[in-house]
Amino acid sequence: MGKTLFEKIWENHKVEEIDGRTLIYIDRHMVHEVTSPQAFDGLRINKRKVRRPDLTFATMDHNVPTNNRSLPIIDQISATQIRALENNCKEFGIPLFGLDSPYQGIVHVIGPELGITMPGLTMACGDSHTSTHGAFGAFALGIGTSDVEHVLATQCLVLDKPKTFEVRVDGKRKHTHAITAKDIILSIIKKIGTGGGNGTVIEYRGQAITDLSMDERMTICNMSIEAGARAGLVAPDQKTFDYVKGRKYTPKNYDDLVQNWKENLNTDSDAKFDKSFTINASDIIPQVSWGTNPAMTADVTDVIPSPKEFAGGDVGQESAAKKALEYMDLRAGMPITDIKLDRVFIGSCTNARLQDLVEASSVIRGRRVSASVRAMVVPGSQQVKKQAEELGLDKIFQDANFEWRESGCSMCLGMNPDILSRGERCASTSNRNFEGRQGSGGRTHLVSPIMAAAAAIAGHFVDVREWV
Amino acid sequence: MMVGKVIKYERDNIDTDVILPGTYLKLHNYDEIAKHAMEGIDPDFHSRVKKGDFIVAGKNFGCGSSREHAPIALSHCGISGVLALSFARIFYRNSVDGAFLLPIEIEEETYKKISDGDELEINTEKNEIRNVTKNEIYSMKPFSEIVSKIIAAGGLFKYKPD
Repeated sequence: MGKTLFEKIWENHKVEEIDGRTLIYIDRHMVHEVTSPQAFDGLRINKRKVRRPDLTFATMDHNVPTNNRSLPIIDQISATQIRALENNCKEFGIPLFGLDSPYQGIVHVIGPELGITMPGLTMACGDSHTSTHGAFGAFALGIGTSDVEHVLATQCLVLDKPKTFEVRVDGKRKHTHAITAKDIILSIIKKIGTGGGNGTVIEYRGQAITDLSMDERMTICNMSIEAGARAGLVAPDQKTFDYVKGRKYTPKNYDDLVQNWKENLNTDSDAKFDKSFTINASDIIPQVSWGTNPAMTADVTDVIPSPKEFAGGDVGQESAAKKALEYMDLRAGMPITDIKLDRVFIGSCTNARLQDLVEASSVIRGRRVSASVRAMVVPGSQQVKKQAEELGLDKIFQDANFEWRESGCSMCLGMNPDILSRGERCASTSNRNFEGRQGSGGRTHLVSPIMAAAAAIAGHFVDVREWV
Repeated sequence: MMVGKVIKYERDNIDTDVILPGTYLKLHNYDEIAKHAMEGIDPDFHSRVKKGDFIVAGKNFGCGSSREHAPIALSHCGISGVLALSFARIFYRNSVDGAFLLPIEIEEETYKKISDGDELEINTEKNEIRNVTKNEIYSMKPFSEIVSKIIAAGGLFKYKPD
């Protein structure tokens, strides 16, 4: 029987079997300021070194201010955490893309951008959205701080072999501007649920996935974790190879590598997945989340479901939906397009790459943000920011009254000063609508960049298909 | 044997942003982190919880972010175990790796029978949960071989393969 792409990568990285688990070699390790300080402390206490500082790359993203970088950081606790990463990188010899680096950015945006992320690799990072890198046909795993320490010390992880899950997106999108990768992944999570991918590595396949650009594939793989999956990946193709070519860390033997990737990095036609799910892209329309987890999502043309209707007989789901509506201050039967907004956030590792910003800007030319809305754009990295400015996007956004900021995780998780106030409602291009995620008492609706931009102008959600 | 009282949340998908809101990820001191445990849905949690207590919850406990601060916050408040219908992978792994608390999977029937405030005794050798308040005994899903060994060793870094 043939093998899936994931199984091939797994086999290639096996070091040995230990007590029923497998020791897997990690090719690249990305580090950021929030989940690493205790790991470095652990190394120091035990007098260990970083085994492969040359395969370890650090940046600061979660906790960095997104306003003027020439000013000192006001929050002293944040400043201390940022300094700790600088000191740790210096002490252990790890390359750091710090606050003053032209390559600083969200860890999952800069990995691909710098050519650190490549097909067939195993990657780890102390962040659940590490699954993003799977868009290149890599096995990329989010880990906690103990495992960060383990990878720093050994360049390995002890893992149970995950099951394989085929998610097919067949057919073609009916509208390639208004219906985005974000709408595809939200539609998938809506159907399979927040635990639908538990214990599995998802391989996204089918025409609609092949049609996607690399930026879009990253959006899809990024949210694999929201379905509970350990990782998500897409088999590499010419688009992947072209993306990787000529970047800062792309290896010199690129041509040989491409040959090898072409021959080996695919799922055999006779391979069997442990489970499979299919959705047709032509059925997908723009999505808006209404609840407090990403599966609580509806078509923009829908009304908010009643908890009973949403739950389909599941008592737990029904009470969760009730609580969600209460928290979100919404009522069943209300049209999604009637939801009025206070804030709009275009950013995060899900949707802050160049294509996201280009798409968002396409609906705002000559328009202005609604008087009742405060909107901000936070590019995923300094490189994205620079490229966007070369295209004049900063001007388009600012002319429409969007704030144009420095790169970082920003309002996705509410660690830095970019947070919602209690009761504020936000259209966000991020990945989690959990209670309090963007600030205590804040209310999050997950949407695509183009939907967020259109909603900022209108002051409420709109069927963005009518705008482009 | 672990003994403690139950703090029950009848909900699924209790995520790590609820267990420890992102704004506290800046903190380095575990006791400081613990003061904000469960703040997202239960602001009094820190003052109510006693050493050894258990959380009982529904499906997919600990979903979301990979922050190890989540099990750290619960454990430094005194929580010795979370009994849930299922766990998100990274939370489960972090709990065991750092020997912060025991993630115990229970059946739906057991979940229904345990009430907030019940006193439990948990014997992981026998995979047995005794409800002292109700005088009932339930079974728990046994840990896998390697998880048992890591727990017995006191965490990933103390564990040595045979």
